[in-house]
Amino acid sequence: MSGPAVLLTLIAHLALLSSISFGGFPTVLPDVRILVVDTYGWMTDQEFANFFATSQALPGPNMILMMSFIGWKVWGFPGAVAAACATFGPPCVIYFGAYRLWHCFRDGRWQPVVRGGLVPVITGLVIASGLVIARAADADWRAAAVTVAAAVLMLQTRVNPLWLLFAGGALGGLGLL
Amino acid sequence: MIESWAARSVRDPVALGALSRVFLKVSLCGFGGGLALAHRIVVDERRWLTEQEFADIVSLCQFLPGPNIVGIAVCTGTRLRGAAGALAAAAGFLVIPWVLGLAAGVLLLGHAQHPLLQKILGGLSAAAAGLLMATGIRLLLPHRTRPAALIFAGLAFGLVTFVKLPLLIVLFGLVPISIVVTALQTARAR
Repeated sequence: MSGPAVLLTLIAHLALLSSISFGGFPTVLPDVRILVVDTYGWMTDQEFANFFATSQALPGPNMILMMSFIGWKVWGFPGAVAAACATFGPPCVIYFGAYRLWHCFRDGRWQPVVRGGLVPVITGLVIASGLVIARAADADWRAAAVTVAAAVLMLQTRVNPLWLLFAGGALGGLGLL
Repeated sequence: MIESWAARSVRDPVALGALSRVFLKVSLCGFGGGLALAHRIVVDERRWLTEQEFADIVSLCQFLPGPNIVGIAVCTGTRLRGAAGALAAAAGFLVIPWVLGLAAGVLLLGHAQHPLLQKILGGLSAAAAGLLMATGIRLLLPHRTRPAALIFAGLAFGLVTFVKLPLLIVLFGLVPISIVVTALQTARAR
């Protein structure tokens, strides 16, 4: 595949995925990885993990930035712009439309039921996404130990996740991983 | 609802520029706590929305696909100034942070082959993966007493991780069944 077909393929996939990204964009990471690493070989697993890590360490709209890095890698600056638009465009339209209709169904008794059904599935998807990044990032047992430690500290303490992120980076920079 | 609309029309309309600036601040300073910051500015400081309106918006956004915090910007903008407000709030949240983030990221990733940066990024990625898994686990904790919830979380995890099914199929296969099971359990509990 070459030329604009590459960009169109990426945009079409991102637009579809962003339209079904219930629970936020992390749930679509496994699908995106299969597309850009396995199916088309646009980047390596390591690059994919780097894009995720960098987007998490920057302020602003993290996942939109990550998809923009992927777009940049695939098709330069136009690719980054197109990937960003495909990522935030469909959800923004849905948010706008749904808010306009909100008064029709804001007090529905079905709300807790739908939430009770939707949330468990989303949590499974988010954990699976974390594992996808871990598999791409963890080259050996020491990196895997950092992943486990970050998860445990995040769950057990109130420490700002940003510090855990930078601690991981520092351990890596010091050559301990 | 009607009351608050009337109250709003008496007040001066919120300037589109102010909407953009507030959500620019939320975007750049939010760092993992964007929701709390948005609540503090929009409800406590500016009094653009009531506590109830903000809570409604948050619960609506949690139902919908996409980044929730962008949804809060869009809905707040819509509430205050209609479509123009939605555009102003979303643009404030996205444009400048995106340009800055892309520039910083591309600069950084352009040197990703440098040995030191490679090691730093490796450690950063490992920690980021752990944080993402912890986010999923934390979301699941309130549902841990419901066996059905754990089963559906496990199924979703397994179908993506081991069977490598696409998200579309997992979502539309599991979510309806999960909702029906929750509905049956709720009905039986009554």
